[in-house]
Amino acid sequence: MTQQELQHLYWRAGFGINPDRLKSMSKNKKQVVKDIFAASKYVSPLHIDLSYLDGITQIDLKNFPELAKEIRKKGNKKILELNYAWIKRLINPNELLRERMTLFWANHFVCRDRSPLYAEQYNNTLRDFALGNFRDFVKAISKEAAMLRYLNGNKNRKKRPNENFARELMELFTLGEGQYSEKDIKESARAFTGYTYNFEGEFLFTESKHDNGTKVFFNRIGKYDGDDIIDIILEDKKCARFISDKIYRYFVNPAPNRKHIEAMTEVFYKDYNIERLMRFVFLSDWFYDDANMGSKIKSPIEYMVGMANTVPVTFEKEKDLLKIQKVLGQILLDPPNVAGWKGNKAWIDANTIMVRLKLPSVLLNNAVIALDENDEFRKKFFKKNKGKLPFKTIPDWNAFLKNYELVETKNLQDYVIQGNLNKGTSGYLKTLSKSSKQEYCVQLMSLPEYQMC
Amino acid sequence: MDRRKFIKNSALASSLFFVPNFVKAFESVATKQFGYKRLVIVQLAGGNDGLNTVIPHNNDLYYNARPRLAIKKDILKLNDDLGLHPGLSPLRSLFDNGELSIINNVGYPNPVRSHFRSMDIWQTASGADEYLQSGWLGRYLDQHGEKPYNAMEMDEQLSLAMKGEHFNGIATNDYKVLYNAAKDPYFQSVINHYNDAHLSEHNLGYLYQTMIEAKSSANYIFENTKVKPSQEAYPQNSFAKQLKNVAQFINSDLDTKVFYTSLGGFDTHANQENTQARLLSQYAESVSAFVKDLKRNDTFENTLILTFSEFGRRVKQNAANGTDHGAASNVFVIGKNLKKAGFYNDLASLSDLDANGDLRYSVDFRSIYATILSQWMGVSSKGIIPSQHKNLDFI
Repeated sequence: MTQQELQHLYWRAGFGINPDRLKSMSKNKKQVVKDIFAASKYVSPLHIDLSYLDGITQIDLKNFPELAKEIRKKGNKKILELNYAWIKRLINPNELLRERMTLFWANHFVCRDRSPLYAEQYNNTLRDFALGNFRDFVKAISKEAAMLRYLNGNKNRKKRPNENFARELMELFTLGEGQYSEKDIKESARAFTGYTYNFEGEFLFTESKHDNGTKVFFNRIGKYDGDDIIDIILEDKKCARFISDKIYRYFVNPAPNRKHIEAMTEVFYKDYNIERLMRFVFLSDWFYDDANMGSKIKSPIEYMVGMANTVPVTFEKEKDLLKIQKVLGQILLDPPNVAGWKGNKAWIDANTIMVRLKLPSVLLNNAVIALDENDEFRKKFFKKNKGKLPFKTIPDWNAFLKNYELVETKNLQDYVIQGNLNKGTSGYLKTLSKSSKQEYCVQLMSLPEYQMC
Repeated sequence: MDRRKFIKNSALASSLFFVPNFVKAFESVATKQFGYKRLVIVQLAGGNDGLNTVIPHNNDLYYNARPRLAIKKDILKLNDDLGLHPGLSPLRSLFDNGELSIINNVGYPNPVRSHFRSMDIWQTASGADEYLQSGWLGRYLDQHGEKPYNAMEMDEQLSLAMKGEHFNGIATNDYKVLYNAAKDPYFQSVINHYNDAHLSEHNLGYLYQTMIEAKSSANYIFENTKVKPSQEAYPQNSFAKQLKNVAQFINSDLDTKVFYTSLGGFDTHANQENTQARLLSQYAESVSAFVKDLKRNDTFENTLILTFSEFGRRVKQNAANGTDHGAASNVFVIGKNLKKAGFYNDLASLSDLDANGDLRYSVDFRSIYATILSQWMGVSSKGIIPSQHKNLDFI
C-alpha cells in the first residue's frame, strides 16, 4: 500500500494517522486490514461516574419533587460529562474501528436522551454491536430504554398504538422512505406494543399491554411480535441495500456508486454481518480509487478529533469542547432530530467555514496564521490579544514534531491534507517560506482542503 | 456547448435538484425578485404561555383552571373577551394604531409537546409526522437568495429555519467579529491564488465558494452598515441588542430580506408568574423601541415582524404554579397597513380541549408562512411550504 492509501484507510476506519506510526506499519493491504479488525475485537464500554444515582428509586423521585429536580440538574451536567468522555475516547480509542463505527451508528440509530444512565447504556449498545450482526443490533435497539422514550415506544399500547417507532424503524433504520405502506406501519406498531423498561434502564415486556392479535405485515399474516417484524423486514434485500448505501456514503464517498453498493449489498444480505461487510469495503480495490480519497467533508467531530491527533491539545476549560461543537454544528448526544445530521455539504455555511478556517490557528497558535510579510508586527498584535481569545488551550507541539520528525517540512501537505490541493493554492503554498514546520502546519490546517478527508 | 451553459442545462434537466449556489451566482438571477420588503422573525423559545399573554379575562373556565396563576390585575383589556398581559403595555399603542394583528389558536395537527421537535416543525414548516432537514426561510433562499446576507440571524449559529437545501443565510451576533475573522490576510492570499478553472460541483469547489461568499458577506455587512448609533433608547438586554442590530442593518438599507431573532426562557413549569412577566416586558419594551427606531427612519412601512413560540402551555396550571407543555397558541404580526389588525380570530373554546387538556388549533402556522411569502415577500410558497395552505387575509 502507498502512504496515500494507508492514510485514506485510516481516515475512514479512524481519524487519520501520524507518519511516525505509518513508518512501522506493514504495507500489505490484507495484513493492514486484518490488523485493524483484530485491534477492534474487544469492546471497551464507555462509563462515567453515575454514583449520584445510587440508592435512588423511582418512588423517591415521585415523592420528593425537590430531589427529582436536583437529579435532573445533575443529569444535565452528567450528559456533558458523557459528551466529553466520548470525545476523549475518540481521540484516544482502545478499539479504533469500533469507535469509528459507533460514531457512524449513532447517526443511524439516532436517539437523544437526557438521562445520563440511559444515554450511556444506549451508547454502549451501539459500541457492542458496532461490528456485529445487524439483525441482533436492530432488535437490541428496539428494546433500549432511550429509544423507547425517544420514539414513544413506551406509550405504544394495545388498543392505543403509537406509530412513531414503527415508522422510523422502516423509514430511517432499515428500508428507507416509501418502501412500505401506512398499513404496514399501523400493523407493525401493534407488534411492538407492551415494550417498556424499568428505572435501571432494563427492557421489560408487559404482556398485558401487548397486542396478541393477528397482524398483516408485508402481505403476511401472523401473531407477530417486534422481533418477528424485524426478521420480516430484513428478509427484504432492500434493507441490505439501504444500509450498504449509507455505509458507502459515509465510509467511501458521499457520491454513491451503484455498482459498488450492489456488490456490498450481496455481501451484506447473506448474513447481515457488519464486520464482514466492512472487511469487504476496505479490501476492495475501488475503495482506494483516487476519486474516493479526500472526497468527504469532515464532520465537526472528524475535524476536531483529526486535528487533535495531529497536534494534541488540552483545553483549560472543558466547557470549551462543548462551545466548539456548538459553533461547528454537531454536539454529540444531541442530534437535531431522528434523521440525524445530514452531513457532508450541510456542515458548511458562511459561519462554519470561517470558524473552521480560523480555529486551528486559534487553538494551536494564538490565532496567528503566519504570513511572510510583516509577520513580526502581526505576531505582536496577536500576542497582545492573547487574553481575549475565545479558548484557552495548551497545544503539545513537541508531540507533533516527534510524530512528524521524518517528514520534511516541504512535504508536510502530503500528510496533513487528504486528496488533491487546488492548483492555485498548491502554487501559493510553494511560495511560502516554510521556515517553521509548526507554522506551516497551521497554514495547511487553515485551508479549505483541510476540511476534506 | 460551453461549460456554463452545460451546467445550467444539466441543472435544469435535473429539475432544481442540487443546483449548487455558485452555479446560481453565474445565472446572476434575472428574476430580481428581491424587492425591499423585510421580514423580522422573533422566536420565543421554550413555549410561551399564550393564555397568560392574550388573556380571556371574562372567562370563568380560565380562572377555574388557574386558581393561582390566572392574571387578575392590570390586564390591558382590548375588548370584552380578551386582553394583554400587563407586561405587554408597550405594545398597546401598536394595537390601537392598527399595527398589530393577533392570530389566536395557531398550531398544527397532532401537536408534538417536545420543545425540540416542535421547534423543528415550526422552523421547517413540516407536519408532525415528517422530518425535513431544511428550514422554510432556507428554502426561500434556495429559490430567491443570492448572497448569504440576504437572510441574517442575530446569533452565533444558524437555526435550521435559515438553512436551505443548497443555500444558507448567515448568522452573526457581532458583525465586526465576523469581519475581523474573515479579513485575515492569509485567507485573502489563498482566495487570490485559488484557481477556479476546475470549478465543479464537488465538495472542494463548494468549500472555496462558501469561503469566498462568507468573506464577501462579512465585508458587505461591515462596509454598508452605518455606524451612527441609533437615536432610540433600547432596554439593556440581549434580545433588545439583537433588535437594535436588526434596526441598524435595516436603516443602513442592507440587502437583507429576513432577520431572525430569539428570546428564550419561556419554559415555565414552576413559578411562572415572575419569569413570564419579566420576559414579556423584555419582549414588549424591545419591540416597541425597535418599531420606534424604524419609524424614525421611515423603514417601518416595509418591515413585518412575526412573533411565535413552538407551543403554548396547558390550560390547567400545575401544582408548582407553572404550566406544562401545551399545543396551539397565539402569533403576533406587527406592521403597517395590516389588512386585519386587532384580533384576527376568536380564542378557541376553553371547554372543548384536546385529550391533553390543551387548546385546539384553528389556524395552521404554515398558512401564516404561506401568506407572508405570497402577500408580503411577493413570491409563491410552492417548494417553500411543502403542504398546501390557503392564504389568510391579515396582510
